[in-house]
Amino acid sequence: MGGNAATALLSEKPAGKLRDPALFLSVVVIWVFLAVFILFPLVKLLILTFEKDGQPSLAALVDILGRRSHYAAFWNSLLLAGLVGAAGTVLGFFFAFTAVRANLSKRWTTFLDLAIILPLISPPFTTAIAMIFSFGPRGLITYELLGLRGFNVYGLHTTLFAETITYFPIAYLTLKAILAGIDPNVEDMAFSLGASRCRVFRSVTLPLTVPGLANSFLLLFAASLADFATPLILAGNSFPVLPTDAYLQITGLFDLKGGAVLSFVLLVPAFVVFVLQRFWVSRKSYVTITGKSGAQTEIKSVSPVMSRLLLAICILLSLLIVYFYVLLFYASIVMALGANHNLTLKHYRVVFTEGLKAIQDTLLIAGIGMLLGGLYGVVVGYLVGKKQFVSRAAMEVASMVNYSLPGTIVGIAYLIAFNSPPLVITGTAAIIIAAYVFRYGATGIRTTVAILQQIDPGIEEASHSLGAGTVATFRRITIPLILPGLFAGLGVVFIRSMTAISATIFLVSIHWTLITVRILEKMTELELGVAAAFSVLVVAIVLAGTSGIGLTLRRFRQPGAPSMSSILGG
Amino acid sequence: MPALRIRLEHISKTFLHRVKGRVRAVDDVVLDVFPGELLTLLGPSGCGKTTTLRMVAGFEKPSQGRIYFGGDDVTDLMVNQRSLGFVFQNYALFPHLSIFENVSYGLRVKKLPGPEISRAVGEVLRLVGLEGYEQQFPNQLSGGEQQRVALARAIVIRPQVLLFDEPLSNLDAKLRVHTRGEIRRLQKNLAITSIYVTHDQEEAMAISDRIAVMNQGRIIQIGTAEELYFRPRTEFVAKFIGKINTLPGRVAETAADGFTLAVLGHPYRLAGPAPSTPAGAELKIYVRPEMVQLTSHLSSAHAQARIVERTFLGEKVEYGLEAGGCSLWATAQTSAQQETFAVQQNVGVRLSAEHLLLLEEESNQ
Repeated sequence: MGGNAATALLSEKPAGKLRDPALFLSVVVIWVFLAVFILFPLVKLLILTFEKDGQPSLAALVDILGRRSHYAAFWNSLLLAGLVGAAGTVLGFFFAFTAVRANLSKRWTTFLDLAIILPLISPPFTTAIAMIFSFGPRGLITYELLGLRGFNVYGLHTTLFAETITYFPIAYLTLKAILAGIDPNVEDMAFSLGASRCRVFRSVTLPLTVPGLANSFLLLFAASLADFATPLILAGNSFPVLPTDAYLQITGLFDLKGGAVLSFVLLVPAFVVFVLQRFWVSRKSYVTITGKSGAQTEIKSVSPVMSRLLLAICILLSLLIVYFYVLLFYASIVMALGANHNLTLKHYRVVFTEGLKAIQDTLLIAGIGMLLGGLYGVVVGYLVGKKQFVSRAAMEVASMVNYSLPGTIVGIAYLIAFNSPPLVITGTAAIIIAAYVFRYGATGIRTTVAILQQIDPGIEEASHSLGAGTVATFRRITIPLILPGLFAGLGVVFIRSMTAISATIFLVSIHWTLITVRILEKMTELELGVAAAFSVLVVAIVLAGTSGIGLTLRRFRQPGAPSMSSILGG
Repeated sequence: MPALRIRLEHISKTFLHRVKGRVRAVDDVVLDVFPGELLTLLGPSGCGKTTTLRMVAGFEKPSQGRIYFGGDDVTDLMVNQRSLGFVFQNYALFPHLSIFENVSYGLRVKKLPGPEISRAVGEVLRLVGLEGYEQQFPNQLSGGEQQRVALARAIVIRPQVLLFDEPLSNLDAKLRVHTRGEIRRLQKNLAITSIYVTHDQEEAMAISDRIAVMNQGRIIQIGTAEELYFRPRTEFVAKFIGKINTLPGRVAETAADGFTLAVLGHPYRLAGPAPSTPAGAELKIYVRPEMVQLTSHLSSAHAQARIVERTFLGEKVEYGLEAGGCSLWATAQTSAQQETFAVQQNVGVRLSAEHLLLLEEESNQ
């Protein structure tokens, strides 16, 4: 029976024989990995949430939600996520519209792109740190510049601001692609029918962007919902949110079950977003990439005055981002920002002595994770995008789960799952690597699938017709074509291994720690200079890594080969 | 409303090309489109025809020159102030609007009352044969139907000018022939001054009152289909519209009222002034394949050739010939009376003087 089921699992025809042992083997191996590192931890999380003394029970859930602070945290999380989604989408649209429609010169486009890319490649709390430096009790802007005493930097307003700045680049990248994909002829047509610029924007451009706006809102909603670092630093006691609550429940109160329940509560809205995005937004897109798009057009949708105004506002906002990063750097080379501005290298001395282990660990984990994650992404992407087997659709969904869930959930689930037999890897580097591979390797999967979708199936047949066998075709045609997927996977796993914290904060140990975790520790110890120095180091490493991979990706010119920035867009 | 005249006065457009640097896409175009006329800009891709059309529409601004609609200089007017209908190659229907909303868009911009909009949209949809499609969406329609929606949307606003940018090139061959007939009928009935862009010479001949042949940003010749076919001014026009043979010849003799050309070793007397080339120098002589008559009767009265190729095309037969070291084509109608010839057969070639063309050399920049 088992053999038959396995055969059926793979056969291209319902009653086919085991035609392709290599395919069979890869599918089984991948499913084992998905089961162990994605499904099993989630199941354990659910069991812990809904079980009491071996019986199914809602007691823990009722208990946790019954507490005012947690109940508030749930609504706060939704409120914050909703606001970040809205604000970030508006800001992202504003930038995207300017970039695509305002006839910017190449130099300005590059400047905006660079400023916008910074938050994408930074550790999650760099904005938060810069906010503290600027608006904190001894903040450069509030205290020194404006002379304000007692400005409260902690709460919804600053968290919202920091998260919006951190995540709006995702909206920018999503919407830029959509706006650039609108057939210019459609807008030209509306003009030719007598419509004014304002009317064309209102009745054509904006409606055509609505699916993109919805998508961007959901992406930002999910990102904010999952963000644990920014609220930890900026939200303060008055504005608890779920991820930080879950974190404190586990690290502060050592209440694994409470943490599990809280992360389950977080899972519900995250799951709704996942479903909406996958099955609703994806169907409503108007932008069709056809070979023959409209003629090159002198864009008329924005008047010259408006164009200059848009650019000016974008430059101001970009300068704000750049200012944050300059400030971060400055804070890392002075004794104590706000108190003593004498130049010093002492923070970097700490980074490279006491922090050296974290750097080595992070680089090692990122290095191994990147190789495994890249490979995983391409293999799963190839199977899902090219091969036919019975569990294909299920595999695609399963492989995206960890990527779509907030990191806090993944981290807590891993902590619960791998703390006890059968598989005990808590405290090892393996658990951190696994978390990264199965979370961020998904980018490689998506890129590979996207590339495969755009490749005419005929080209493999063409190779066969020219006398190449299956192996030769795979080696000479398929592998070179999906290489960009490999590099995309590599790149994202590397970058996220350097910058992520929400999942892995639960998985570090005295044996294996990460730079991001050290930054957080230094923040809580109020050693802001060292935290800044660590952040600068991460930004520098990631910038170098990103440019390296970006340059590699640019060498590929086939359809679907993504640019580095589009991969980062979530 | 009487139809208006479109005038292009010395229009030029320069682009900055990524590789080629500064490119003159349209070079000093002078064009006069008569009221109610359909004029086609015909030329190979990259000849500047679409750019010219887009400047008439106002999608691009000319680098030099003025554009007039009637007596009004519209060069600096935005496209939405020009009162025109534009039909795009890819139709450019609004994908998020229904057919009714697509067609009524321009009327709603004009703030017409609701009942009047409904009436006008219903009428124009009937005109293009799409009654009952009001609530459909563009992606539910076939290419031909989308094309007709685009046409309806352009004419419903009763524009003073209709502009077509290769509107048929996304349709299959049969539908293309059918639709061009419809466009032609509609344009004649509405009597709207129209400019039509295509690279398809057959389409241009079928649909136009006059054709302007363009190459490398310039208008080479303007005329009716017959004029362009029978009296092309340059080799480019002759070769772009129909097929033509190029034969070597020379001026054998000049007289007061004409001159004699020697082609394939035989003299042909032509009227008018002789070409300015030095006597005895070799000239290119052009002749349409269907003007080349073949006969099995060999005599010294005409040149001799050998058939090297024969292609049967139904209503006509094409012969490839070799005569005195040069090759030429002849086509003959298939009919009961016509002689047919076999490959390798020697035949006589009869040319008549009035069909021999002497054309201006192309000035290739």
